[in-house]
Amino acid sequence: MFTNDDSSPDQHGEAGFQALLDAAVDAIVVIDCRGHIETFNRSAEKLFGYSAEEIRGSNVSMLMPQPYRREHDGYLARYLETGEARIIGIGREASGQRKDGTVFPMELSVGEFRDSKTVRFVGIVRDITERKETERLIRQQQERLEHVMRLGTLGEMAAGIAHEINQPLTAISTYAQAARRLIDSGLMEDDRLLEVLEKTGAQAERAGAIIRRIRNLARKRPAQRERHDIARVVDEALRLAEVDARLHDVNLSGTAEPDLPPAWVDAVQIQQVVLNLVRNAMETTPPSTSIMVETLCRSEEEVIIRVCDDGPGLDEDLISEIFNPFFTTKTHGTGMGLSISRSIVTSHGGRLEAKNRPDGGATFSVILPTAMNEHEHGN
Amino acid sequence: MNMATEKPTGTVFVVDDDEPVRDALSMLMESASLAVRSFESAKAFLDSYPADEPGCLILDIRMPGMNGFELRDELLSRNALLPIIFITGHGDVPMAVDAMKHGAIDFIQKPFRDEDLLDRVHQALARNEKERLEAQAQGEVTARFETLTPREREVMSLVVQGNANKVIAQDLGVSQRTVEIHRARVMEKMGARSIAQLVQLAGIIDK
Repeated sequence: MFTNDDSSPDQHGEAGFQALLDAAVDAIVVIDCRGHIETFNRSAEKLFGYSAEEIRGSNVSMLMPQPYRREHDGYLARYLETGEARIIGIGREASGQRKDGTVFPMELSVGEFRDSKTVRFVGIVRDITERKETERLIRQQQERLEHVMRLGTLGEMAAGIAHEINQPLTAISTYAQAARRLIDSGLMEDDRLLEVLEKTGAQAERAGAIIRRIRNLARKRPAQRERHDIARVVDEALRLAEVDARLHDVNLSGTAEPDLPPAWVDAVQIQQVVLNLVRNAMETTPPSTSIMVETLCRSEEEVIIRVCDDGPGLDEDLISEIFNPFFTTKTHGTGMGLSISRSIVTSHGGRLEAKNRPDGGATFSVILPTAMNEHEHGN
Repeated sequence: MNMATEKPTGTVFVVDDDEPVRDALSMLMESASLAVRSFESAKAFLDSYPADEPGCLILDIRMPGMNGFELRDELLSRNALLPIIFITGHGDVPMAVDAMKHGAIDFIQKPFRDEDLLDRVHQALARNEKERLEAQAQGEVTARFETLTPREREVMSLVVQGNANKVIAQDLGVSQRTVEIHRARVMEKMGARSIAQLVQLAGIIDK
């Protein structure tokens, strides 16, 4: 572009080009086809801590942390050979390493330019430490809020949970007292005693399983997505929800299609969503009615968790508002449940939808992408 | 345990939807040499219970389908005498108090001490036996009363109120001699050997 300058094409062009590079806010690095640095602008000097002089001629891989440093020559060679681009023309988030060894997140875009003899690459680098930090803080706040909501849910379920743990405790203590009496009166046979001990153990397991589920949900933890069988994730949530169903005298049932494709999810977050939807349904559903939770799959790409109730259904005028924060129709509601549920589902790349059923009652559908393309979601 | 010496009659019916609790309760009753039958729901119990079988009921207040209160009401409507011991979870105390107001013999919180529950069971069985005997006696006395003529019933009513034959004769506009004959018939038919006994029998009918 500067070469079109009529007055002094070469000199002015060179200086003008340098001025342009140095004025750029982003770091600009030009390398030759073997990865050796040719141009290193002022922002690059500031960002990486090397002077242009000292770094010129070095392999650009020294600006990267491992394992990229090790692999970069290979990328370059493969691109030149096959044209298969990892970054070129795409732009992506990557990591850079400064002279002092510190690593920072950066946004990198790469272009190439050719003359008759050779090919060069220009890399434009922006430090996104601050943006990442903001994102991290937002995520942390969100996780905190989710955690508080989970604790709130468990708090509301406390009476039911206490009842549910009391059942196996009652069985254990009664078995023990009955066994002692039978032994005292010489009526206990060995076989029977063994059987009672086994039953007692099973009841302790039962109480333990309830506590494990609660602890899992109550734990403060960063979101962690893994490949999960979504039917099992839903089932775990339903086992907790059953506690409440019994108190509300609601018939809660769950069905799952066989062989559902796995999903890439944070299990606790999805359980939180299911629990929230089921408990909402329970509060609007009259006693002795049913809540159905179906897990199904419409295509290879999506699994759906559907919560259907026999309640009065949703007010059509309000359907668009129910996901708004602080929107509630309950006297004791925070109005955060559905809002958080939706943000959890959205962060999984899914959708949360509400609809009235033609024959009365409401349906909430959690639609999640399957783990077919999990490498896109990972890292 | 003070009452263990008397051999209680009747069956302990356990109704609880929780299988292990039901199973453990059955075993506890068995360990105290009590006859026991258990049911997973109020409906299953009602379907198989003949209203005159002696015993008592151990009932979980909170059950899906028909709850403990509804079962109690159903038993009342069938005129079944079974005393009920409600067993409750932790948060159910107000419910249990309500149960007591509505005629439960007792309530007991889970988990319980075996003595506490077995004491209550023995009390309930004893109460059932007593009520049964009373009901039986009432049935017999009522049957006798029904053999009286209308005039004899009038005379009996006036006699047990403490009226002298003379007064009764005036009230009914008959001779004193006629009253004496009615009175003798009443005593005979009711099987009473004294006025005091007749008063007692009249009390049973009034119950």
